[in-house]
Amino acid sequence: MNEKTAELYLSFAGIFHRPHPEVADNLEELIELWQEEIPESKVYIKEMEDYCQEYPLVDNRLNALWEHYIPLFEVGDIEAVPYASVYFDDNGLVLGREAEEVRGFYRSCGYEIGNERQELPDHLAVELEFLALLASEGKIQQLLEFEENHLKPFLRLVLPLIIKSKRPVYSNAAKILEIWKLNSDRKGD
Amino acid sequence: MLTPVVIILKICENNLKKLVIFLFGGKGVNRRQFIKRALYGAGGTAVAISGFGALTKAAPKPALATATNEETTVFSSCEMCRNQCPVAVKVVDGKVSKIEGNPNDSGFGGVICARGNSGPSMLYDPQRLKKPMIRTGERGSGKYKEVSWDEAYTYIAEKVKELQQKYGGESVAFASRKGPHDWFFRAIGKGIGSPNIFSHEATCPMTRSVALHSMFGSEAIAADYGNAKYIVSVGRNWLEGIHVAQTRSIMKAIDNGAKIVVLDPRFSVTASKGEWIPIKGATDLAFVMAMANVIIADGTYDKDFIERYTSGFDKWQVEVKDKTPEWAEKETGIPKDTIIRIAREFVKHSPKAILDFGWRTGITPNDYQLRRAIMFVNMMMGNFEVPGGYYHKKYAAVLKKFPEMSSYAKTLGDIYQPAFPKPSTYRIDGTGIKGIPGQLIPEGDGAVSQIPESILTGQPYPIKGWFVHRFNPVISVTESDRIIEALKKLDLLVVCDIYMTDTAMFADVILPECSYLERYDKVFDMSGKTPKYVLRQPAVELVYPDTKPSWQIYKELAVKMGLGHYFPYEDMEEFISRQLAPAGLTLDYMKQKGVWTPEGMKPFYIRANDHTASLDDIVHRTDSKIEFYSEEVEEATKQGIPKYEQYPQPQEGEFRFVQGKVAVHTNAGTANVPVLNELMPENSLWINQESANKLGIREGEDIIISNGKYEHKGKAKVTQGIRPDTVFCYHGFGRISPGLKRAYGKGINGNKLINNVIGEVGNVCTSMSFVTVKKA
Ligand code: SF4
Repeated sequence: MNEKTAELYLSFAGIFHRPHPEVADNLEELIELWQEEIPESKVYIKEMEDYCQEYPLVDNRLNALWEHYIPLFEVGDIEAVPYASVYFDDNGLVLGREAEEVRGFYRSCGYEIGNERQELPDHLAVELEFLALLASEGKIQQLLEFEENHLKPFLRLVLPLIIKSKRPVYSNAAKILEIWKLNSDRKGD
Repeated sequence: MLTPVVIILKICENNLKKLVIFLFGGKGVNRRQFIKRALYGAGGTAVAISGFGALTKAAPKPALATATNEETTVFSSCEMCRNQCPVAVKVVDGKVSKIEGNPNDSGFGGVICARGNSGPSMLYDPQRLKKPMIRTGERGSGKYKEVSWDEAYTYIAEKVKELQQKYGGESVAFASRKGPHDWFFRAIGKGIGSPNIFSHEATCPMTRSVALHSMFGSEAIAADYGNAKYIVSVGRNWLEGIHVAQTRSIMKAIDNGAKIVVLDPRFSVTASKGEWIPIKGATDLAFVMAMANVIIADGTYDKDFIERYTSGFDKWQVEVKDKTPEWAEKETGIPKDTIIRIAREFVKHSPKAILDFGWRTGITPNDYQLRRAIMFVNMMMGNFEVPGGYYHKKYAAVLKKFPEMSSYAKTLGDIYQPAFPKPSTYRIDGTGIKGIPGQLIPEGDGAVSQIPESILTGQPYPIKGWFVHRFNPVISVTESDRIIEALKKLDLLVVCDIYMTDTAMFADVILPECSYLERYDKVFDMSGKTPKYVLRQPAVELVYPDTKPSWQIYKELAVKMGLGHYFPYEDMEEFISRQLAPAGLTLDYMKQKGVWTPEGMKPFYIRANDHTASLDDIVHRTDSKIEFYSEEVEEATKQGIPKYEQYPQPQEGEFRFVQGKVAVHTNAGTANVPVLNELMPENSLWINQESANKLGIREGEDIIISNGKYEHKGKAKVTQGIRPDTVFCYHGFGRISPGLKRAYGKGINGNKLINNVIGEVGNVCTSMSFVTVKKA
């Protein structure tokens, strides 16, 4: 159970981090994982598989991912700002209170933002990566607490924007993450 | 590091894996290899995620161990416009909470403007550039990939080398918004032997600089507004084109009873504080010449000053002899009696009177002659080196020449750079060539509008590469579409900025600079009536960790290009300490105060107590005389004395199109800054009530503005506050870069509608285009 959760969280972290050659290269593996562990994802998988076949070589695939990642998260339209503070703090800026709170949470669990691949603490991918690490260490109580207080409120705001962007890979991955983390909650309501 | 063999094996392994997945749908393959490896590492124990992860393992700490809520103050300087006011940055728990003026600087009085206040919202803006990027799609398509700094530098270095080999170093132009970064930025251009290095000044105050240099042999002349009793603005608008120290001085003058007269086709905020003279566009020189005519006819000019300190006045007398108020009335539309009255009021208040030499000059092709004529009238009244008039800035090199003042002079040190290669050819704009107008263009500035011309026409020789630092020619230079056409033709465009500007969106390589709140800069000299040095230092750590300061970017790029020897310093602390050491100052002192000015020194006007005091040490023309007639100008333009040139006026149904600054934005720089965008997201077109009625246009209606070649949509602001033959919009809106998400597509980009006419001394000409307006 912990292992599966860790792997799923990490797979989504891999997608929502800035495009990385290793992730691009192993996209099929992530798709396989979702197909297997989140059966309702099937309908969203097809488009992603087509994408993988359209860009079999890692360099082309990486460039194609950048083409979507940048306007989606980085510069340009920025259809879905990936930083939680921007949604929770009134002024819509980065490094707000939410960023400090999640940074504090990471610290209390023994994690820091690393030196080499620095990122803001409340980046969607960093939160997902953190949960992967908690799950892999079996820190279930902290995981649930972080999910409830930080991740899920953020996902409720950011995922619809990513889904709406209709960007291959990203919007499908967002939909699958939504099914996994948010829809299952609704079912239980 | 992977060896080539390992890389080949890895490619084979990955492709084989993909092939298997493709053929068998992944069945039977160990599908979690990558995820498991990333999660658990090779040994199977939980480790921080390598490769693409951001978190690393550390000893657990209490969640809020570092939050103290204590406020600290970091003294630095603003960069929301180029005035660089000294500021006090308030920091709480490593975050900028607020910015105030630096109370250690009395000139600025601890005050900043709205733009200065908005700094934190830019610092924490999610729309800032965060990583270096290389273009992957068509120019302007917005298709980029993020790369490491090393990849970006390598790409640039290789491309520049190619251009150098094919077309010579001169084929690469460099243009920046003038500032402390230039020492570093320009070293790249000089290092590759390019003569084509430009500032933005030709789009702003360059004609004023040319005028001052031709008269005084120095551009470092300033106006003492605070002590003036009568101030005539020729289109200057201190209350919207904010310069904190100058705006405060104007307010002080008004509080002390000074009269403000404003010549402007539009009723500006400054005009609302005094007498508005709605002059016909492009006729200011006629007004100024007529003022001179009245003063000479009245015999009220300062004969002693002219005799003692100037040369060539006789030729000016001849030139304005027929420039009577009656003649000027026809040209300017201002009644002759008003001209006579203003001239006489000016005389009455002299030498505490200022006919202002302007800020964003470049209204007409011969604008530099207007600026000279303005200063002639001031000099006719001896309004120089006395309180309430003009003065030469008192930086260390000037003070040293005055024994009673030399103890206040502390000179900053230079950082030695080895000699740069001599460019093998002349500049594209003719700057520095004797016998042509280029002779007058300041070498450090150049005529930046010539860059797109040379790209498009290949004349006088082609420009193939362009480095742009914190400058946005698509919005700042006239005829935006022509600029874009030029950018699309380049072999290499490198842009260093904070935002994805309208120019950056066409770049091959984008280099993300960190903001002024996160970096050091070269200490700058802001001397005025007393010497002053100002420090910029980081108030907080980098918000986006992969952004860098320009001093580091260009040093690292230089190393990659084999030009590292032109950057002989390790870091900026060392650089600044070396600058300060000869002045007997230290970085620690500057960090504590943010600003240095000599203690106890009072404003120094050379003629304050002795109206016959020598000006030889500050006037650097022939025989140390302030020149009315200039041999140099004669040689360059055949107009040693300004001559009036009559420019066309709009025909029936046309309007002169003019632009100006607004208090809450900085030209092409701040439309996307969160707080400022909220305060003013777009502009509109000011049109006179009567003219709007004729066209059936009502307040707030959608309109189309056309100059015959380009069209722009906008909204109408119907007002009595503008001449019926003129329309106006604030500058810096109508942005075309989707990367400026808040500002994108909002308002009117005035420069789209202004033709790229290059003025006589290389200036842009902002008020020479006519437009028609209709309902959309
Ligand atoms: S005038 Fe305003 S924006 Fe410009 S430097 Fe000063 S405070 Fe900053």
